[in-house]
Amino acid sequence: MQTFGITKKFGDFTAVDHLDLEVKHEVFGLLGPNGAGKTTLQRMLVTVLSPTEGSAIVAGADIVREADRVRELIGVVTQASTLDIELSALENMNLYGMYYGIPRKQRQERINELLKVVELADRAKIPVSGYSGGMKRRLEIVRALVHEPEVLFLDEPTTGLDPQARAAVLEYIKRIHEEHGITLVITTHYLDEAENLCDRLAIVDHGRIVALGTPADLKREVSGGDIVEADFSALNDNVLKALEKSDSVLKIKRRDGGPFEFTILVKNGAEAVPKIVGLVDSNGGKLRTITLRELTLDDVFLNVTGRSLRE
Amino acid sequence: MKGALAVCWRDVLKFARQPIVMVSTIIGPFLTLVLLGSAFGGAITLAPIAIVRESYGPYSSSLIETLRNEQSCQLGGINCQNSFHLIDVPDMDIAQQMLHAGSVKAIVHIPRELDDSLAAGTKVVLTVTLDNTDPLSTAAIGPEILQASQSVSSGIQTSGISPSNTTIDLEYAYRNVLYIEFMAPGTFVQSIMFVSIIAGGVQLVVDKERGIIEGYLVTPLKKHEIVIGVLLSGVIKSLFSAVALFILAVALTGIRPLSLFPRPDLAGILLTMFTLFLTALGLIGMMTAYAVRSTSADLYRVTCFPINLTLYYTSGAIYPLDGMPPWMKQISVINPETYAVHALRLLMYKGAGLGDIAGDFIFLSAFTMLMVALAIVAFRRGL
Repeated sequence: MQTFGITKKFGDFTAVDHLDLEVKHEVFGLLGPNGAGKTTLQRMLVTVLSPTEGSAIVAGADIVREADRVRELIGVVTQASTLDIELSALENMNLYGMYYGIPRKQRQERINELLKVVELADRAKIPVSGYSGGMKRRLEIVRALVHEPEVLFLDEPTTGLDPQARAAVLEYIKRIHEEHGITLVITTHYLDEAENLCDRLAIVDHGRIVALGTPADLKREVSGGDIVEADFSALNDNVLKALEKSDSVLKIKRRDGGPFEFTILVKNGAEAVPKIVGLVDSNGGKLRTITLRELTLDDVFLNVTGRSLRE
Repeated sequence: MKGALAVCWRDVLKFARQPIVMVSTIIGPFLTLVLLGSAFGGAITLAPIAIVRESYGPYSSSLIETLRNEQSCQLGGINCQNSFHLIDVPDMDIAQQMLHAGSVKAIVHIPRELDDSLAAGTKVVLTVTLDNTDPLSTAAIGPEILQASQSVSSGIQTSGISPSNTTIDLEYAYRNVLYIEFMAPGTFVQSIMFVSIIAGGVQLVVDKERGIIEGYLVTPLKKHEIVIGVLLSGVIKSLFSAVALFILAVALTGIRPLSLFPRPDLAGILLTMFTLFLTALGLIGMMTAYAVRSTSADLYRVTCFPINLTLYYTSGAIYPLDGMPPWMKQISVINPETYAVHALRLLMYKGAGLGDIAGDFIFLSAFTMLMVALAIVAFRRGL
């Protein structure tokens, strides 16, 4: 899959802005806050929106000129559920198979197999309206696999699910990639999801890619360092100046919590912590707590956009 | 009580923010007033009557002249208009075919011997054949033709010929059709229209609003496959409802269509089914063409209400077209329901064959093709 300066404008608003991207045979994540343009990008790639400018090739076919071909080669799980809740899982799957023109026998075999994978086989005949949120999501994911697509697009696949159901859905997504070996393109605003699931990630903001690479690469890009979270009970300007001047401190930023809470990006956590403690002491400050933790994607996002993903 | 005021205020505010809903509460009753009032309030005017003239003497000339000038003055002399519109037809066979096809409402047969017999003072019969499958028209036309003929007879009487020598024979061409039977075909069409509105293309609008349509759009389904699929499901649903209504009406209201009574007639049943099918496809095509470009399901539903009323009232379903003012007749000419009602009525009460309703089928087929094409073209395969 490859995009060439793909752009989508809604009136004056540019949702996706001349975006170039190449996705290989991998699990690829589009990470960004709500409204970043992830869903719009995906809707263009799955042919339901046409680009204002630029183009893209998905599974070897052009999304505008060969839209029909693209539709045959992809599977899509949209953000909002598109299941027919009056119908059973079996009926939902069977109809989808018919949309793709899969012969009856092949369809049935494949449906039974897929329903087993997501452990819905014993409930396949009851109306979907009686399913939990997690079950519905699992069903939607396997429904998108009925025609053995080459690329599976998942838009926010775990939004609205409780943690347990989320874990189960993610587990199935992983297994599907491993067993079926298809390319997965996942949009998400969950960091752990992006970090655990994706081979490579693109961080999207304001319709552009602001960072691209493996989760580890992205973190290394920031500095190869660690994060120290320091909460003070007493603080003065000298403390902050001293910290900013220190060799091991790369960046210091006030956290959303309050005036005494800081996130400090450091080169080497184990060495930096005693240094920080010493500097605070000698300048008349007082630490309440100090925590050393590994860098997360949120820190990466903070670094490239100046905002937190969680805001 | 403060709480009640708050609840009331909320509802009034919401009502005021939806001008379309507000307008629809006014426009429906207003249309009913105008359309129904104009139809039922108008006397039957310019009803087409075939005149088969085989005698050319003074008596027949004055009879025709009187008929031509017979006026309907039901509203106390205001709005006087000619009740009939005479069509000269060369012979009885053709006249009967026209009566059968519903293009004339009555036949006045002036026999060859009429003028001679009257001059000679021998007995003669003037036959008037009425299309009694239209009870309202028959009730209006019959007495007026009698009156016209009698006034001519009494004119002759004063000049010396005895009136007892002319007998006017009012003949009914069919079994007497009750008003409830007259109304029934329109009701079947109405049930199809209801299904078209609530179960046709609106499903696509609702699905779009709920975001479900995306599930269709990402599959390789072609645009025409989606639209035709929706149309066919609509046809199945509306045929189910129309046939159920048909059976219910026959079983409970004493409606006696010729296709079933006195004995079932396969050709009649098949033609009736085909008419319903064509009507369903056309109306669902029309409502789907409208729905696929509709952005709000609410707006769609609200606007369907006046569309439905207008088509129903101008179709001749509840009142004969001859009784309608000219502007309503103009709507009825392009109204598909008019042709559906006409064909069904002929099939149910006149035992019509394919030839009699071919015109209706041609209009309905053309309308259906246009609407299906429009629905497919209008459908956007995208978000």
